[in-house]
Order: sequence, then C-alpha cells, then structure tokens
Amino acid sequence: MNLQLDDFWSFYEWFFRPGAFLESAALKGIVLAVLGIVLGLVVGYVISSSRYGSGEGFFAVARSVRDLFRFDLPGTRVRRILALARLAFKEAVRRKVLYVVGLFVVLLLLAGWYLNPQSDDPARLYISFVLTATNYLVLALALFISSFSLPEDIKNKTLYTIVTKPVRATEIVLGRMLGFVAMGTVILIPMGALSYLFVTRGLAHTHAEVADVRELPSGGFEGETDYTRFHSHHFELNDAGEGVTDMVRGHRHVVIRKDDGSFSVGPVEGALRARVPSYGSLVFRDRSGNLQEEGIDVGNERLAGGYGSAGISRLIGVARGTRKIEHGYVEGGGLGTAEYTFSGVTKERYGSSIPVDLSLRAYRSYKGNIEKGIRGSITMKHPSKPIESNPIGFTVNEYEVDQKFLPLEIEGTNGNKTEMLNVFEDLVDEKGRMTLVVRCLDDSQYLGMTPASVYLRPTDHSFAWNLTKAYLSIWLQMTMVTAFGVMFSTFLTGPVAMVATAVCVLLGFSAEQVYDTRHYIDAGIERGGGPIESMVRLLKQDAMTTQLDVDTVAAKVIKTADAGIVYTLDAIATALPNLPKMVNTAEFAASGFDIFGALLARHAVATLGYVVLAFLISYFTLKSREIAA
Amino acid sequence: MDTDNSTAVAETSEDTSPTTAKSSDSVVIETRNLSKIYRDFWGRKKVHALKSLDIEVKPGEIFGLLGPNGSGKSTTIKLILGLLFPTSGRVLVFDQDASETQKNERIGYLPEESYLYKFLTAEETLDFYGRLFDLSAAERKNRVKQLIEMVGLQGAKHRQLKEYSKGMTRRVGLAQALINDPDLVLLDEPTTGLDPIGTREMKDLILGLRDRGKTVLLCSHQLADVQDVCDRVAILHQGELKELGRVSDLLKVQDVTEVHATGLSDAAKSEIAEVIARHGGTVESIDNPTATMEDLFLNIVRESEARPGARRVSQATESKNSSNGSTSDGDQA
Repeated sequence: MNLQLDDFWSFYEWFFRPGAFLESAALKGIVLAVLGIVLGLVVGYVISSSRYGSGEGFFAVARSVRDLFRFDLPGTRVRRILALARLAFKEAVRRKVLYVVGLFVVLLLLAGWYLNPQSDDPARLYISFVLTATNYLVLALALFISSFSLPEDIKNKTLYTIVTKPVRATEIVLGRMLGFVAMGTVILIPMGALSYLFVTRGLAHTHAEVADVRELPSGGFEGETDYTRFHSHHFELNDAGEGVTDMVRGHRHVVIRKDDGSFSVGPVEGALRARVPSYGSLVFRDRSGNLQEEGIDVGNERLAGGYGSAGISRLIGVARGTRKIEHGYVEGGGLGTAEYTFSGVTKERYGSSIPVDLSLRAYRSYKGNIEKGIRGSITMKHPSKPIESNPIGFTVNEYEVDQKFLPLEIEGTNGNKTEMLNVFEDLVDEKGRMTLVVRCLDDSQYLGMTPASVYLRPTDHSFAWNLTKAYLSIWLQMTMVTAFGVMFSTFLTGPVAMVATAVCVLLGFSAEQVYDTRHYIDAGIERGGGPIESMVRLLKQDAMTTQLDVDTVAAKVIKTADAGIVYTLDAIATALPNLPKMVNTAEFAASGFDIFGALLARHAVATLGYVVLAFLISYFTLKSREIAA
Repeated sequence: MDTDNSTAVAETSEDTSPTTAKSSDSVVIETRNLSKIYRDFWGRKKVHALKSLDIEVKPGEIFGLLGPNGSGKSTTIKLILGLLFPTSGRVLVFDQDASETQKNERIGYLPEESYLYKFLTAEETLDFYGRLFDLSAAERKNRVKQLIEMVGLQGAKHRQLKEYSKGMTRRVGLAQALINDPDLVLLDEPTTGLDPIGTREMKDLILGLRDRGKTVLLCSHQLADVQDVCDRVAILHQGELKELGRVSDLLKVQDVTEVHATGLSDAAKSEIAEVIARHGGTVESIDNPTATMEDLFLNIVRESEARPGARRVSQATESKNSSNGSTSDGDQA
C-alpha cells in the first residue's frame, strides 16, 4: 500500500488546511453550499416566474424558502419520518433486495475458482476480494433501490395519498433516505459477518507433521513443517522446546515440542492484523550529505494522480495538487540517507523493544550479486544532538513488510565517545522524538522509500475492528449514493435518475483522470487532449503524444471545444464526493493496516455534507413540483 | 383582477400560520377565479382544463362536482388538495392556501382509484396513514379498529391489499381517508367500480358523514349518486361551470305536481282526474310507479341474505320478473 501525502492529514488539517485554506474541505463545503443556494434560487425563480409571472415568481421563491424554516423544518415529526422509512424499507424488502445477500454467499462459495490458492499474500487477496465484492454489490443496490422508488410512487399515484396527509416534503425525503440506508445496513451486517468468517476460516490451517528435525548443537531444535496449502515453514525452537516458524505468506505458527518428543504446530498467527503505524517525517540527503526534500528519481516514479486533495485551489488554477508521490531513492556508498523523525517515542508506548516495519524498494544500477538482496542499515539518532547508535544491518525484502525490532540498549557513539546507549534516555529528545537514518550499503545501488515506508508500530488493533471500519466506509459510500439517488428521483424518472446517479458515481471514480487531462491541457502537454481530440486521433490513428495533425483552424476549434468540455467535467468532478479515496479504505484493511480514525471521520463528515446538500435539493424540487402533473 | 389577486396573496400568506382559527370556517373551500392550463414540456398549451371556477363549499354540506369525463372535476379536486398548482386564481381550504401542508390535518381524501401500497395489509395501511397524522400508538389502534369495523373488513384485515377485490380496496381507501376524523372529506368518484350494494353503502356512509357534521366534496359522473346524496352541485363541462345550486331546486319541475297514494280503486283514480280537470290542470298520466333497478336489486339481495338458497318470489307478476331478473343483474354489474 502506498500512502499519499493527504492520507497523513489529521481531521483538522483536512478540514481547514492551515496555511492553504483554498485546499480545505471546509472551503469546498462552503462553495458547494453557496453554489447550491445561488443555483437553487436562480432555477427556482426561472421556474416560478414562468409559472406565475416575474413579480409573483419572486414571492413564490421567497415563500418556499420561508416555508422550509417556518413550517416544514419545525413541523417535521420523527414519527412520520419513521413511518415513511419503514414503508421504504418494506418496499425494498418486497423488491427482494435481500437476495443480494444470497448472491454474496454464492460469490463466496465460488470464490475458490478465482482466488489463487498459491498467492504470496492470501490474507490480502481474501480481504480485498470480500471488501470489493461487498462494495460494488452494495453500491449497485443502493443505486437501484433509491432511484426507482419515488418515481414509481408518483407513477402509481400512491404518493397522492401521502402528500394529501400532513406530510412535509422534508419527511418524504428523509424517510426515503433513512429507509434505504436501513435496508443497506441490514444487508451489510450479514455480509460483514460472512466476510469475517470467510476470511478467518479461509486462512485457518495448521501443519500436522514436522520433518527434518535436527537438534542444534547450541541446544534447541530446528526443522521444517510439512507442505500444506502450497507452503511449508522453517522453525527453530529454544532449549525449552518452544519457538515460532518463519513468516511465509504473511503468517507464522507457534511450534512446541511436547514432553513425549512429538511436535505440535499451532494455528495461523499474524495473517490478519491491523497495524497501527506511527509515521515520521521524511527528509533525504544526497550523496554529498546535503538536505533534499525528495529522494532521487530513478525513473517513472512520478505518476499522474493525487490532484484531488487540492480541492478548490486546483480548480481555479492556483495549485496543482500534491501529485502522487512514489518512491524517492537513496544512493549507496556516499553520504546519501533517508531520515525519518518520529514523535511520541516513549517508554509507555513501547515496551521491551521498538517494533519497526520496513517496506523498501531496491533499484540496481548494476547487476551485482543477483542472488543476494541489496543491503541497508538503520541507525537510531538523536534529532538534534550528535548521539547515534551503531548501524543495524538488514537485507531488503522487496514487496513485503519486513518486521524488525529495535533494541532498547545498543552500543553507539556520543560525540566522540563510544558507549552503551539507552534509547529512551540518550536517543530520544525531550519532546519524545527520535530519528531513524536509513542508508544503502551497496555502492551505487539504490534504496527507494516513501514517508510510509518506514514506521514504528506501537500497537496492533484487532482485525475484526478493522474490518468493521472498512464496512463503515462502505456504509458511508452507500449512504452517499442513496442520498444522490433520492435527490435525482425527485425530478427525474426512475431509469434516468439511476443513470444520473451512476454517472455521478463513475465521474467520482474517474475524477483523477479528468483532473489529469485538465492538467495536460493547462500545461500544453500533448497527451491526447480532450474527448473530441482523442476521437480525432483515434480515427486518424495518431499517437497521443504527437502534434494534432489537422489544419490550424480546425485544431483551434477542437481544442477550444475540448477545453470547455474538460473544464466543465473538472468542475463537476470536483463538486462530487471523492469516492476512490473512500474505496481505498479497503486497501488499508487488505494490507493489514489500521484504518485511521481521522480518515474515517473525514469520510463521515464529507458524507454528511453531501447528504445535507442532497436533502435540501430534494426538498425544494419536491416542494415546487406538481405531484399530479 | 390581477392587482386584486396579488394583494390577496400577500394577505393570506401572512396569516397562514398554523393557528388559523377554526371558528372562521363560514366557508370550507373557496375557489377564486381558478384556472388550470396543462402545458407540455416546452410550455405549449395543451388543455385548458379549468376556466375561472368560482365555487364555495359551506360547512356541513355535501357538495357534488358533476360532469362528463374530462370536464375538470378531478383537476378541481387536485387543485384543492395542492396536488396541482393553479395557472391563475387560487384555492382556499379552511382559509389557507391549498399549497399549505397544514390544511391536510383536517382533510380526508379518497382518490379516484385507491392508490394504496399493495404489499401492506388493511391494518398496516391504516396504521401507516395514522402515523402520518402523528397519532399516538393507542389512538391509532383504536381508530384502525373502528374504521375496519365501519367499512366491514374485519375478516380480511390481515390480508395484503393485492388480494383484495376492487370494492374492498375502495373501502380501505375510504377508511384511510377518515383516519384523522377529518372535517372535510374529498371523494373522487367514490362509487366507481362498486356493485349496487357497495354503492348504496358508500352513499349511506357519505350521508352518515354529513350527519356527523362533516363537509363532503365529491365528484362523480354517476348522476344517480349525486342526486341521492348531494345537497348542492356544480355542473362542469369542458372546464367551465355550467350550473350551480341546490339539487332539490335544480331538479324541481315547477309546473308539475306529484301525488303518491295507496289503496285507490280505478273509480277513485278517474274521480281524481276529474277533480284535476275541474281545477284547470291537465292529467299527464295516472299509473303505478316503477321502482328503480337499484331498489329492485337491493331488495333481491336483502331477501336472499335473509333466506339463502331460495329464489325470490315476487308479489308482482312472476313471469315478468324472472325474465327481467337475469338481465337486470347483467346490466347493473
């Protein structure tokens, strides 16, 4: 998993973006709200003035705004909302949407056909499979039930008997949303439970036999487990006959030698986890030891993406967004280092040792000894004083999380003296900060890392809770889609409302591509251009990086039209919820990382914002619409 | 008229607060110059459904809107309910604009067809609509029981509405319209699709509502219904009001006198004819009155319920009745 810069933001940072308010979610919310109000008033005025004449139209708009605050919001009753929600729920049940759970079960039953049993990381495979399946099933379902219900009621005229009761438009909208969200919740809970069972049961295994057991000269034993589920483990036991196997496919087993000389292998350990990382800030030093913001780019590390975090400021052309960060590299042999400074390194958080996880990349500028990995070292260092430990060497394990433990007592240098250092006393400053220096030891080979590549791991959370959080994230997405579906269904017919909602979801998913196209148009880089230009290129079979090969006038027309389309799409995509970011929480769970509370809180607040917006739009359209027309 | 109208709008929009006094109900429904034009998507005029309708419905009366299909009856009712917005003019219900939700507290509405949720049972349906009036659980239970008894659906209250016959659905529809014990009941074609017994029961219910002090507005094209129950009618044709007044006044034939008597011999009849002639009147006919088909049918059903299995033996000529009986059944149904 590769975390982006904005993933590290706390809720406060995300909401206000101190120092860059233009990028903040708060501003985006305000702009959306203002835009919604202004557009609403204008559209409302146009409609009602065409209906009643220009003067009376003004009063009509004013009246409907006043009605919301004077009558409809105060007059909204929980009992009515719940009654309508219950109805929506029953209606959804009647549409047999609960069959989706059955469909999910079938998917799980057939999962063996397409989940590769020889995978290197089965936990990741299983978790991302169940989460992705749930996510798309539930979103499709939300889309379907929310956008068809209201138009159907208008078509069947069942709504006549409802709106002629003292039911407020607020209640109709809220009742629907609530009913469908309740439906989705009822579906998500069994899906979540089934997923949990599927993953835990699917990964559970043990090794019945051991082989090649040898007694070690130093006391204890070593040996191999049998080959079960396409893998076996190597294990070493201490004098007492206790020990663990090595990590294979993300898990290990406890092995115990019983008194009668037989060995017993315990259940899977460590396959399902939720690491709670403590990330540090990262700076690089080049080969001469000068500080650098970024590491060396060994090529193709700057991929498109990551614009979404820049919010409004990118839309109005002030900022470009963080861009996606990939690995920065440290050169071996020279003075090149990557320095992570961690805070909160205290005795209370870490017990007998400091767990540190490394997921580094290696880049070979020459072949070297291809059998052996690139070597690196970690040094613990005081953030400001010249105190540092001796380097701890390691060999890079690419594409795996390499778990290490830093000792609390280590030999090192304090100024010019060489002495035993205590980590908490000598290497941590008064603010609880400590620096880890990562070096590459092989000359002219490179180690790549991002701010998320090296982190301390004070605790783990339970996998069940992490899976629950992933499901909460799906729940939030479902709520958002439901709100949009209900909103569109207040003024569109069922199928059209569904398509409109689906377009919103798809545009939300492909927002980054739209931003990217816009970026290339702005920067004048030839990357195929907008939709019309792409079409022309396709028809002419031109490569996308060449100059557009048509005459100048045509090119100008095409580019202008394209710019118009792309800018419009950009504005719409910016206004829509950032769904890929929300779907990405599945990646956290699959990679075994705890889903940050801040991330979930951000999603929750964004969802709430969009739900309120959809609610207001729905209210006004429903209120101003002739139900019997 | 225009300026007049806009000031009226401003005034009433000010006093449409929820506390609108109940005492000021000298008029329950008032339409002022009410017009409705249906337009297509592009705003082009399609139908002029209602032209400058001015009617007033007084408390405690049964008011009938009468007219052929497409005359604007349903449009009027929908405008009164706020399901449609007037193109010009306005509707006041209990002195509030028709677009106010507040007025619905005191209104019961039976739509043209009972647009109910087919997957609910009768009891669930009524409970649901009770909730929409924010009635407490105890109150709802009470009222639901009462209404189910009133419309005679005790035996079927746990069945889903999709299994109901048209008449039963209609009754649930009526029951839901009365769930809030409304002061004003709007009935859109209350007797369509009902058999003669159902029609009679519906009419009795409507009269019962009036007896309990409710105001009823109904629209129908079944003239007999309107004649039987309405106090006043408005006759619409092509969106225009053609006639408005008390049913008894409208139907009274001023220069004809009707005498009903029993036990008269033929001699007595001719004597009466002489008396009339002496007073300068003209006898148009002296005859036995014929009952309406409705009366005949209801009598048959009533007797068959009293003595199941037996065929009705009329006191009148038997042969005539038996040949008529079968056809009349077919006609009425």
